[in-house]
Parts: sequence; C-alpha cells; structure tokens
Amino acid sequence: MKTRFVTIAGVIVAALTLSFLQTTTPPYAMITGPLKTSGQQGEAVTSTTFSVQVGDVARARTIGYNRFGEAVALESSGVWVVVSAELRGFKETMPVHGATIVGASGRRYRQSDRASGAPDVLSTKVLQPGLPTTGIFIFEMPEDETGTMTLVVSEQYEPQLQDEISLTLEPQDEAVRERLDIGPDGI
Amino acid sequence: MRLFASGWTSVQMAFERERRIRWLAIISLPVLIAAAVGINAWRNIGDYRHGIEIDVAQGASELDYGGAAWRLEQARLIGDGRDTDVQLPGEMRLIIVRLAATAIDDIGEGWGECSVSLTDEAGRRWLPLDVVLSDDLSRDLDPVAEPLDGCGISSLDPPARHQSTVIEEKFVVPATAASELLVHLSFGALRPAAIAFPLGLS
Repeated sequence: MKTRFVTIAGVIVAALTLSFLQTTTPPYAMITGPLKTSGQQGEAVTSTTFSVQVGDVARARTIGYNRFGEAVALESSGVWVVVSAELRGFKETMPVHGATIVGASGRRYRQSDRASGAPDVLSTKVLQPGLPTTGIFIFEMPEDETGTMTLVVSEQYEPQLQDEISLTLEPQDEAVRERLDIGPDGI
Repeated sequence: MRLFASGWTSVQMAFERERRIRWLAIISLPVLIAAAVGINAWRNIGDYRHGIEIDVAQGASELDYGGAAWRLEQARLIGDGRDTDVQLPGEMRLIIVRLAATAIDDIGEGWGECSVSLTDEAGRRWLPLDVVLSDDLSRDLDPVAEPLDGCGISSLDPPARHQSTVIEEKFVVPATAASELLVHLSFGALRPAAIAFPLGLS
C-alpha cells in the first residue's frame, strides 16, 4: 500500500515538474532571437557590430527620382515614408538588408520593393568598418500608421543571435507632402 | 505441485529478465543522450572551425598553402592621388591586392570556399568588393587590360602543377587603417589554417 502511494506521488511530482519546465521554457525563436538595442531618432544608437543615427523622416504621396536617365514617379494610395540615416560598421564588412517600420497599430512594414531602384538606398550598400555610410530607407504604408513609428534595422530580416537596433521616430507634425524628390544623395 | 513450482520459477525468471532490461534501458538513456549531444557538438565545432581563421601563418615573402607557393604580387592604395589621379571622398580608400600562386602539387578542388580579406591590428576585417563592381573599377582604372579573376572564380580552375596564376581582389577601407593591413587567404578545407602577408602600404 505504501509502495503504491509512493509510486503515484512520484508520478504526480514528475508530471508537475515536466509541466512546469514545459510552460517556462522560452520558445526557440526567443532563445535564438535578435540582440536588441534601442534608442531615439537623432541619437547614434550603437550595438556591438553597427550603429544607426536617423536624420530626417519625410512623408509624401508621390516620390520621384531619376533611374538610368529616366524620371520615375511612384504614387501611393497610402504614403511613402523616407528615412535618412547614417550607419557605421565596427567589426566586419556587412550589408544592412533588414529595415522595418513598426506602425501605430503594431503592424510591421518592410522596405518597399517598388522603390528599390531609387538612388542612395541603404539596403543596396555595404558597411565598411571605419567608414560612415549614409543613405535612405523607403517604406510604403497607410497614413494612419505613421502617427507613431519605430524603425528596426538589422543585417538581415528576422536576425538570429545578431544585432538589431530599434529607433523611435519623432511624431510627424507636418502635413504629408504631395511629392518628394530623391536625388543622388538621398533627401 | 512440482509442475506448479516449475511454472512459478520460469515466471520469476522472466520477471527478473524484464527488470534487468528495464534498468539497463534507464541507465543507458543518459549515456545515449550524452553521446548524441557530444557527437552533435563535435560536428558543430568542426563546422565552426572551418569558418574561422585562427592558425595564421604570416610571412613577408612566400608561403606554401593549399598545394601552392603564394606571394604578395602587388598592393596598391588608390584614392589619395599618389598611385593614380583618383581622389576618393573623405577617408575612403581603394586597395587592390594581387596574390601570385605557383602550384607545387595537384590542387584539384582544394581551393574551394576561398576567402580573401584584410585585417588590421584592432581585429577589424574588410571583405572584397563583389565581382561586378570589381570588374567595373578595373576597367575604369585601365580600360585596355582584361580584369583579373578574384579568388572565388580562380578556385574553380586552379593552375596545374608547376603552373602559376594571379588573383586580384579590391577593398574599400579607411585611410587611417591602410598602413597596418594584412591580407589573409584561406580555403574551406584547410581552415582554421590560413596565410597572411603584410601589405606594407604607407
């Protein structure tokens, strides 16, 4: 009788222990997730491998630029958000392909493929240690998402055990422009 | 009665055997888990070692590596107006490195996963420009000459025994780092072993 009681108690304790371990184990995506650093627009936010300093943020209904000598104008049913930034790499030559804006609702907007041919786009450049690199990120998103924005930058989208820098962008007080021209040196 | 005793004994033996097997299974479980983790870790460490350069042979003249004798053929610093008239903005400088190799053995596929990079004393590492940009720069600097292949393309067709080849890679670096740079060369199968030459730029 005593042996049976001990056995049942042991099984219950083991089940509770396993249940506790299962519910408190962080998910794989969290264990191997990004190494996060955060800051504000205007300040140089530095991680181990690179830094980002956001300059201007502009919103427009249409963006225009020259590509291979031809004028390009891209309209949006939402708004274009163009962010200028200076990036610095510290350890090794690296690209910065991952840039996302987290909008007011929490939805995430990656860089626009429609505007990938625009000049001075940072995702087409490579950071060289010791050399600052300036350029722009271009996003297309609904206007009501631009009230509160956070820019998230990383070497690749969905980084694993790699640096990811988040920058809270200042509230956009100015009205949305009808047109924003992007030159060879950005905005 | 004798029959009953005999049956009882065989049941007891079967029970004992089952109990032994159960204990053996329980005891062997942690051993097998530890072995599986160990083998996996060993493989991961092996893969990691093939991705890094920690056993670097450094020489000023010639080094044997990957079945060939390697030497630094040429290192050019472009952008300050001394090598050519080209002036690059700010601290930006272009470095062109040529490495010459004479095969002393049959190389075969031994140059796979070739890596060429520049490092400085602070441990910073610069990787080469991509092939398209590198060829464009070669044609800008010398419109007549055919651009030399980089390490990646040369590794697909390495020289035969006693034959030679020259590879060229281009890097963008800050001017302040140029004087202390080393060029590193390594192949996937031989890493973490690598070779390095000081560029000797001023």
